[in-house]
Amino acid sequence: MSERGEGENKNESKNANRNGNGNGNGNGNESLEAIEALKAELGKAILEVRQPREGRIFVKIEREALRKAVAVLMNRGFIHLTTITGIDLGNELELLYHLDRNGRLLSLSVKVPEEKPTIPTITDLIPGATLYEREVHDLLGIVFEGHPNLSRLVLPEDWPEGLYPLRKKYSVEDIRKALGGG
Amino acid sequence: MKALNEGDAEATSTFQIPLGPQHPALAESESFTLTVDGERVVDASLRIGYVHRGIEKALEAGTYIQNLYLIERICGICSHAHTFCYSQNIDEALGIETPPRARFLRTILMELGRIHSHLLWLGLAGHEVGFDTLFMYTWRDREAIMDLQELITGNRVNFAFYTIGGVRRDISGPTIERIKKVLKVIRDRMRYYKWVALNERTFLKRTVGVGILRTEDALRYCAVGPTARGSNVKRDVRKDDPHGAYDEIPFNVITYDGCDVASRTLVRIDEILESANIVEYALDHLPSGPIRVKVPRSVPPNETISRVEAPRGELFHYLKSNGTEKPERYKVRTPTLANLASIRTMLVGGYLADVPIAIASIDPCFCCTDRVTVINEGLGSREVWTLDRLRKYAEDWYRRR
Repeated sequence: MSERGEGENKNESKNANRNGNGNGNGNGNESLEAIEALKAELGKAILEVRQPREGRIFVKIEREALRKAVAVLMNRGFIHLTTITGIDLGNELELLYHLDRNGRLLSLSVKVPEEKPTIPTITDLIPGATLYEREVHDLLGIVFEGHPNLSRLVLPEDWPEGLYPLRKKYSVEDIRKALGGG
Repeated sequence: MKALNEGDAEATSTFQIPLGPQHPALAESESFTLTVDGERVVDASLRIGYVHRGIEKALEAGTYIQNLYLIERICGICSHAHTFCYSQNIDEALGIETPPRARFLRTILMELGRIHSHLLWLGLAGHEVGFDTLFMYTWRDREAIMDLQELITGNRVNFAFYTIGGVRRDISGPTIERIKKVLKVIRDRMRYYKWVALNERTFLKRTVGVGILRTEDALRYCAVGPTARGSNVKRDVRKDDPHGAYDEIPFNVITYDGCDVASRTLVRIDEILESANIVEYALDHLPSGPIRVKVPRSVPPNETISRVEAPRGELFHYLKSNGTEKPERYKVRTPTLANLASIRTMLVGGYLADVPIAIASIDPCFCCTDRVTVINEGLGSREVWTLDRLRKYAEDWYRRR
């Protein structure tokens, strides 16, 4: 972990601080370098790069490039996986891998088709991903290939197979009915 | 335990010990299956979800204002952290600027919450190592902070203080004086507790070198909060990704390098002192002006992430909005989930007797795992232990050593 001078904040305008980040410029450049490195390594597998504000970067990539992208970012200091967010987009499921480097969050976004929702695990790269992958597997039915133990984490053992509660096609009433409740 | 004493064959020398699940009244519960070889823990696996309530699904069905109150009920100890994180997330998605006074007030309540949460933990840690005097002392001191929270917000636990666009109540001169008076007492008490944590022999014996989480493991398993900082990882969202008024208030990020329960204790004790400083500074520099702005009911399509440093570490909220009054997707990742991955490392290689304090040292939101089953696989026997019995076993075991 790099040390940041506490005085750095004072040099920036209050407005910049108010928007959530006042970490000095050094880290911003390093985030840009990380994106440049990603572009160099992944090429066309990068679909979109978006930086809505300082300290927040969203990078959309091809599903096949995920492990390579994580490895590249880890080399650039993005070693802390904050969590994995899964979203049901209808025909596709989106996964966001939120990687942190000294407070800068880079969210890698990949999409998997609903009929074959598989993605390689990253637990061998970041052991901290174990529980996050199990949680997404439980709630959205995404299969992380190569995960050492993809068993139930948050849902009960007798939860109906194939009923993924965070999929949009299941309403709360559907879930209640499937569980035998009124 | 028979097989051990008789020195049976290898196959019967390990035991599987399911630890938990727990009391239904508690906010968060986990279940561990511990494999022990004699007194040593050789493996540990984890199961959570016993109080999974499907809040993320429910959030998609509620309006942003309704969700504010549901979010507050995710946790019964750091409810303020969730509403803080949620309200600043919606502020950002709406593109509104939170009034400065509101940002300071949000920060003040957050730090008071950290003090009460850390004091609560310190008491429980004392209880886990058979030092109930510490438990009595810290919980008495914590009560003074609870009174302050009630004075400021009108409530003890679910404050309904944070709201989208600011906060719902202002504080006045007499309240500020009262807060400062209480903080002075807390500060004196903390100096005493620090002396206890550094010098009290029974406490040292149960915490130094126990529940080891090496720095590289804390990084690999993405630990957060005091758990990471006790392993010398300088990770604090308040500094790294400033929110509220933290970028305008000077404070130190506390780290210790012992990588054990003792270090995690010292981190929390020092953090209470830092929090008291933050509150005092914020009260002295409280900006004037409005405490909230009026906000629209619908949030335009946006994608925002909000983080706060909750008492247990980095709390993460993600919002995907779609232009309606209800979120498309709202994701919450609590610090306990982040730290559970590190627990296995802390337990494996340690003694069975250290399991209660090692688990407690990450400050998970469960404190009374109420049932332990000891299974002797080889002989097929099964015993049910309460956590009290395991704790008693731990105390006796340490006395004999």
